[in-house]
Amino acid sequence: MQNFGSNDDLDEKGHVMTEQPKIKVKFEPKPKPSACPICTVEYYQKFFDIEQRDVYMRVRCSLLSWKPEFQQCVAKNPDLWGPLWISTTIIFILFAGGNLSRFLLEEDKKHFQYEYNYMYVAVFLVYAMAFVIPIILGVIMKYILKSELGVFDIVCMYGYSLSVYIFVLILCIIPYNEAQWFFLMSGLANSTIFLLVNLWDFIKKSKPALMIAIPIIVFNVALILCFKFYFFRLIYAVDD
Amino acid sequence: MDYTNQRPPQNYSQMDDQKTQDLEESVSETIMRDLKMIAYKLKYVLIPKEQEDNGKELRNWDLWGPLIFCLVLAMTLSFKAESTTTSTKSDVFAIIFVLIWVGAFIVTLNAQLLGGKVSFFQSVCLLGYCVFPINIEAIIIAFFGSYLPFLVKLIPVFLCFAWSAYSSVGFMASLVPPHKKKLAVYPVFLFYLFLSWFSLIV
Repeated sequence: MQNFGSNDDLDEKGHVMTEQPKIKVKFEPKPKPSACPICTVEYYQKFFDIEQRDVYMRVRCSLLSWKPEFQQCVAKNPDLWGPLWISTTIIFILFAGGNLSRFLLEEDKKHFQYEYNYMYVAVFLVYAMAFVIPIILGVIMKYILKSELGVFDIVCMYGYSLSVYIFVLILCIIPYNEAQWFFLMSGLANSTIFLLVNLWDFIKKSKPALMIAIPIIVFNVALILCFKFYFFRLIYAVDD
Repeated sequence: MDYTNQRPPQNYSQMDDQKTQDLEESVSETIMRDLKMIAYKLKYVLIPKEQEDNGKELRNWDLWGPLIFCLVLAMTLSFKAESTTTSTKSDVFAIIFVLIWVGAFIVTLNAQLLGGKVSFFQSVCLLGYCVFPINIEAIIIAFFGSYLPFLVKLIPVFLCFAWSAYSSVGFMASLVPPHKKKLAVYPVFLFYLFLSWFSLIV
C-alpha cells in the first residue's frame, strides 16, 4: 500500500528513491541553427582556411595569367582573404599614388590641395569590382547558366585578378601620359586574360556562356578608364 | 581613499561597495583614476618589456583610451588640413574617425576569421592604444612640418609607424596558428600605414 504521508522521495513509479550520489552532468545545449547562416562569422571561416604560402601561390598564378592553373591552385578552397586585402591595398595605392602623381606635376608645391574624394571613389570603385560584380556574375553563371563554379569561386578569381594592379598602379605614379597608358594596358591585358583563360572551360560550352565574356571585358576596360581619367589624369598647368 | 592601484573587483559584493564609493567620490577623482588607468594600459601596450604575463592585462579592455586617441588624431589632422572651406576639414575628420574604428573592426574580424580566438573588444582596445605613436607623429608634423624638408619629416613618421606596428603585431601574431601569422599581421601593417600616410600628407 502506498504511504502518502511519507517524507521519502518517490519516483514516478512510486518506488522510494534512496539517496543517489549527485552526478554533475555538463548540459551542453545543441547550438541553435542561426536564422541567417550567411550572417555568422562561422560561415565565412571556411573562406579563410588558407596559409600564407597559398596566397603567394594564388597571386603568382594570377600574374602568370596565360596559364589556366588557377582552379588547380585553389583546389576547391576559394578564399576571401585575398580579394579583401588585395582590393584594400589597391584603394590605398589609388588614394596615396593618385595624389602623389598630381603632386609631382604641381608647380606650386607649397599650396598643394589634397583630394580627399579619391578615398570615397576608390572605395566604391574597387570594392564594386572586387565583390559586387563577381557576385552578380557568379549568381548568373551558377543559377542561370548552370556553371559548376560557385559564387565564391568567381569572387576569389576576380579578387586575385586585381593583384596585377598593385604593381601597375604604383608604376602609374610616374607622371608621363604614355607610360601610364602602357602600364594600364598591360594590367588590363593581364587581368582580362587571366579571367577568360580560367573560365574558358565554361565559356566555350554554349552561346549564352560565351556572352559572359562580354561583361567581363567591358567591366575591366571601364575600370582602367576610371583609373586613368579620375585618379591619374594629368592636368598640366595652363598659363592664363 | 586611494583608488589608483585598485585591482578590478573579484566578486559582486566588492563591486557594490566600489559602486557606492564611485558615486561618493568627486568628479576629479574619477577622471584622474580613469586617466591613470589609460596611462597604465598605454605603457603596458607600447613598452613590450612590461608584458610579462603575455597580454593578460588586456582582458580588462576599455574603449576610452582608443576613443581619446582617435579624437585627438582626427582633430589634429583636421585642424592642420589646409582649406578655404570647412568641408575639407570635416572630410579629414570623418575619414580618420571612420578609418580607425572600421579599420580596427575589420582587422579584428580578419583575425577571428583566420581562426584566432580573441575577444573582439580586446583586440579593438589594443589596436586603439597602438594609435598613440601615430598621434605623436601627427602632432610633431603639425607643429614643425612646415619648417622641415620632406625627407626629414619622413623620419618621425617612419619611426612612429614602426613603433605602432611592432607593438600590435606581437599580440596579433600570437592569436592565430603559425602558418597564418603573416595573413593576420599584414592588415595591421596596412591599417597603420594608412594612418601614418594621413599624418604625413596633411
